[in-house]
Amino acid sequence: MLSIQKGEDLLSITLNNILSFRKDEKEFINLVVNWNKNIIIEILDFYLIEVIFNGNQISFKTNNFDKKIHLKVQLDLQTFLDIAYLRVNPISAVLKRRLRIKGLLKIRTLLKFMKIFLESMKMVAANPNLNYYEQNKKTR
Amino acid sequence: MTETKQRKIYDKVSKEKVEQKLIEIFGSENVTGKSVDLYPYSYDMTECEAHMPDFVVLPENEEQLVRLVKYCNTNAIPIVPYISGNNVGGLTIPEKGGIVIDFGKKMNRILHIDENMMYALLEPGVTFGQLYKYLEDNYPHLRYSYPFAPPYAGVVGNAILSGMNNLSCKIGSMGDSINGLEVITADGSIARIGSCFYGKDEADDDSWWCRYPMPDLMGLFINWQGMTGLVTKCAVQLWPNPPFKKTYLAIVFGLEAIAPVMREVGRTEVVDDISAVSIEVVKMAIEIPEPTKIEGEPDFAALFPVSAKTENHMNAKKEILDLTIKKLQDQGSKVILVDVDEFSRLFNLRVRCYLDLPSVVLTLVEYSGLTWFGSYAPTHKLEELIREVYPIFLKYDVPPFIYMKIMKHAHYGIFRPIIRYKKFENEEKIHQLLNEITEVCINKGCIPYKTPVWMTEKMRKKINPGWLKLFDKIKNCMDPNNIFNPGRWNT
Repeated sequence: MLSIQKGEDLLSITLNNILSFRKDEKEFINLVVNWNKNIIIEILDFYLIEVIFNGNQISFKTNNFDKKIHLKVQLDLQTFLDIAYLRVNPISAVLKRRLRIKGLLKIRTLLKFMKIFLESMKMVAANPNLNYYEQNKKTR
Repeated sequence: MTETKQRKIYDKVSKEKVEQKLIEIFGSENVTGKSVDLYPYSYDMTECEAHMPDFVVLPENEEQLVRLVKYCNTNAIPIVPYISGNNVGGLTIPEKGGIVIDFGKKMNRILHIDENMMYALLEPGVTFGQLYKYLEDNYPHLRYSYPFAPPYAGVVGNAILSGMNNLSCKIGSMGDSINGLEVITADGSIARIGSCFYGKDEADDDSWWCRYPMPDLMGLFINWQGMTGLVTKCAVQLWPNPPFKKTYLAIVFGLEAIAPVMREVGRTEVVDDISAVSIEVVKMAIEIPEPTKIEGEPDFAALFPVSAKTENHMNAKKEILDLTIKKLQDQGSKVILVDVDEFSRLFNLRVRCYLDLPSVVLTLVEYSGLTWFGSYAPTHKLEELIREVYPIFLKYDVPPFIYMKIMKHAHYGIFRPIIRYKKFENEEKIHQLLNEITEVCINKGCIPYKTPVWMTEKMRKKINPGWLKLFDKIKNCMDPNNIFNPGRWNT
C-alpha cells in the first residue's frame, strides 16, 4: 500500500495527481517501494520541489531540501505537457536541452525516474476516463 | 430566528385580510404565511441582516400579479421579487417585510426561442441550467452565456442586474443583451418595452428582437433591484454556437502583472471571456479550503475561452493570443500560456468546474456564508486595486480571493474580492474586512453592483447630488407608495 502525501502547493498537487493515478498498480508499487531516492524537479519559472521516496511513502518538500539528491530534473511547463501528450519524447527533449537532468550518468536511477514519472504522466494524459466532458455528459 | 422590523404596513388593512386577498388571487396552495415556510426567504448567504417576509406567494401568470400590485399599491404593502435567492447582496431580503413573490416555482417557462433573430423570451423563473439544457436539446447551434453561478440561479435576475457571463469580453454586461421587457408598474398597468412595444394587447413572439431606437425605457428597470416595477417577461439575446472551442490558461507571476495581461488579451478581440483569480482560489477549487501561497508560486491564473467557426479560425486566434503573450513576455511579464484541458488533467480535474458553465463552483458554496464586493472597475486601476486589497485579506487572516474580468474588449473591468465564511461564527470580522475593501475600492472609482443596503449608503455619500435627486425623483414617480422592494438603495 503506497502512501502519497497530499501537498498544498501547485507542484505537489500535480505530482500527487500523477503518481496517485497508478498507486494501486502492482508494477508501479514494485518500482516505487523501497526506491529510497530523493529527486528534485524544477519547473522553470515556478520553484523547486523535492520528491522523497522512502519505503512505501512518497512525500514532497519545497524548502529545506535533503543534502543527498539523487537526480535533479529541470524543464518548463510546456515541455512537461509536451512530454505527457507525446508531442516530444524525453530523449529529444534532453538533446534539445528542453529537459535538463543532473545525474544523467546514474543510468538505473534515471531509467526508474522515467518509468515512474514520465510514463505516469503519459498515462494520465492519455486516459480517456479523464475526459471530464465525455465522462459526465449525461449527468451534467 | 430574526423578527421582522417594526413597521406600519398593516395600518390600512389587517394581516388576516391580506392573507384572504392573497388566497383569492393565487389560491391557497400558492400562499403561505407560516414561519417555517417564510424563514428561507428571510436571509441569503451574505452577512446582511435577515428580515422575515409576512407572506410568500407563487404566481402563475401576469393577471395575478397585476391584481397583487394594485392591491399592494392601495394598501402600501411591500413586494419583493425572488427567483432562487442566489444573489450575493441581500437583494431579496425583505427589508421592510411584506410579500415575497417567488417566480422560481411556477413562472419559469421558456416562452419562445427565435432562431432567426437569436433571442429567448423568458419568464423570470427560468434558470441557467434550464435554458442551457433547452438550447442544447433543441437549438444546439445557439448559445446563451453563463456566469459562475449554479445551474439553479435565475437568468432574468442576472440580466436585469447587469451580471456577467462567459462571453463578457465580447458582449460586456448582461444588461446590454436584453432585447425587451414586460413589466407591471405601480398602478397595475402592463408595459412592454423594446421592439415588442407595438400591439395593444399581446406582443407577437417574434417582436422581441431589439431594444432601440425608441426612448430607452429599459433603464427604468435595469439595475433597479426591483424598486420600480415587476418584470414578468424578458427577452435575452442568444449567439451562434461555434463548433470549435478551447480554453487557454495564463499563469501569471507577480501580483500586479495580471492586469496588463488581461487588458492586452482583452484588446485582441479573439477571446470570449477573461476571468482571472488569485492563485489561492485555484487551490480552493481543489479542496484546499484555507490555502496559503508559497514562495515561487504564481499569483494569478486567468482563463481565456476561445471559440471559432473552423479549425483554421481557431489557429488564427491562437496565433494572435500567442503573439500578445510573447509581446508581454518581451516587456518583462512572467506569464505562461497553456491549454487548460491538458493542464487540468495533470493538475486536477476539479478546476474544470470553471470551464463547464453553468456549474456549482465548489469554491463559492462550500461554506455557509459568502459575501463580496462585486464591482465594475476602471481597468487602468486594476494594479492599484490588487496592490491595496490583497494585503487587507492577509491582515484579517483570510485567504485572498480576488476575481477579475475584462468586459467588452477591455472597455471596463470587473473587480470582485470574495469572502467565504462560516455564518453566525465570524460575521463581524468578515463584515469589517469587506467594509475596509469597500472603502478602498469605492475610493478608486469602482462601482458595486447587486449592492447590499449598507454599501449603497456608503455610495450615496460619494455620488453627485444631481444624480441622487434624479434617482429619488424617478423612484418616487415610478413607485409613489414605495411598495417595490423598499429599502433597497436606502429608499
